[in-house]
Amino acid sequence: MIDFVQNTIDGVMIGSSYALLALGFTLIFGVMRRLNLSYGPSIMIGAYLGTLVHVQFAAGPAVVVAVTVIGAVLAGVYVERLCFAPMATGAGIASMVSSFAIWMQLEQAAILVLPRHTYPFPPLATGAPLTLGPFLLRVDHLMMLTCALALSAGVQLVIYRSRFGLALRAIINNPVAAHLVGINVRAAIIGAFALASAVGGIAGYLVLATDQQVTSMFGMWATFKGLIAMMIGGLGSIPGAILGGLVLGIVEAHSQWYFGPQVRDLFAYVLLFACLVLRPGGLLGEPPPREPAVGRREA
Amino acid sequence: MLDVSDLVTAYGKIEALKGVTLNAERGRITCLLGPNGAGKTTLMMSIAGILQPLRGSIRLEGAELRGLTPARIVRRGVALVPENRLVFPQMSVRENLLAGAYQRNDKAEIAADIERMYERFPRLRERREQLAGTLSGGEQQMLAVARALMSRPRVLLMDEPSLGLAPLVVAEIFRIVSELNRDGTTIFLVEQNARMALQVAHHFYLMEQGRVTFSGTPGQLAEDEVIQRAYLGARRAG
Repeated sequence: MIDFVQNTIDGVMIGSSYALLALGFTLIFGVMRRLNLSYGPSIMIGAYLGTLVHVQFAAGPAVVVAVTVIGAVLAGVYVERLCFAPMATGAGIASMVSSFAIWMQLEQAAILVLPRHTYPFPPLATGAPLTLGPFLLRVDHLMMLTCALALSAGVQLVIYRSRFGLALRAIINNPVAAHLVGINVRAAIIGAFALASAVGGIAGYLVLATDQQVTSMFGMWATFKGLIAMMIGGLGSIPGAILGGLVLGIVEAHSQWYFGPQVRDLFAYVLLFACLVLRPGGLLGEPPPREPAVGRREA
Repeated sequence: MLDVSDLVTAYGKIEALKGVTLNAERGRITCLLGPNGAGKTTLMMSIAGILQPLRGSIRLEGAELRGLTPARIVRRGVALVPENRLVFPQMSVRENLLAGAYQRNDKAEIAADIERMYERFPRLRERREQLAGTLSGGEQQMLAVARALMSRPRVLLMDEPSLGLAPLVVAEIFRIVSELNRDGTTIFLVEQNARMALQVAHHFYLMEQGRVTFSGTPGQLAEDEVIQRAYLGARRAG
């Protein structure tokens, strides 16, 4: 029983980083109705820049987190300009495939600059874990959970209380009508990518600071975890992203404990598969949006 | 006030507008009638900047609008109530109105304008926190009109406001159109419902197959012929 609770606690902690990755994913998907496979790799660009200033200039956590977030935002906007803006009216698949190409490009660029397999990343908090009765709580994990909750509440506030959020929701509701009321749709979409990448950058920083190292596999890892958590929780739903991340974390923690680390990822995919079969929209997924009616053309 | 001249808009190689020239005069209701597929909605979408015309010009009091982004066109003072209303279904009535004022920064004035909209459309006040998607068709049309008015347009474009509405609601919509016009709004209206449109219009155009084929005041052409041509297009000789 103690093991079970401890695993669940660990799962929630790790899951909170998945939740942040899913949050960024779901923001982009909500606005664009397109998948950005380059989401993880653009976070990795930020992380590599972060480790670079850490290794080269012995920068501390505050500088590293700033560099990581700024790098991720720049890379995210780069992906938007290249894969999404030019194909805004074309097939969604074109954006997805080109975002895959940019994934490869970003990964290779990162490997060229920093060719070793692993690079150190400054830890967030060192020291003994807190004890709570029989249970152990790692301090950096607690910080991760706190950040995840605070950030998702912050993003929710931005979406529902700010002028920028009003524009994003209008675009999600009906892009043509958003144009018609005078929203600068292009600028708002760039803003959405920047916001999503900033959230992703913070998530990336938290994960890597916990691992204390970064590898070139991180981009793929972040895309996979974020994508799976988003699909479990529900495409385009902010509470869904949080829930999906936590569920994924908990399932992984238990499967690792009972079946070993090799089987852990298998369970993540089984969970995704079960979710897609039983609840294709995700746990908190919304019904697919209506197509804008203006597609109708008079010939 | 709004002068369209020689406008050509194409989908691929098919020209939907083949050189359209017309104008909407200040303070009046100008109406564009024509059968399905004549290019009426294409014209509206071209004026609003959603579609990019190939040639021609769209001037508002002499200033060219063609080539501007939709957001800039709204800022210049042209607002479109689109066909099928296109309200933001998952947003509340109040948020829809706020979105309509997106180009404005004067918070106090925006709040006052929302209050004015509630006075003009009491149903919207009753339903202000309701999601727009849950409103009836007529209420959604009123919301779409109010949302467009929130940008304080100099010209209000309306694309088939009577589409899919019950006759009583259609009468209500046209009463609102006349009322808005009496209060000084210049209106350019596209309609299928020729009989209703002719009752409120000061001037009207007939459009068939991408061209303007008649321009005049109601009464200048027998109503039967207008309706015939508005629904079916001109009868061809032979």
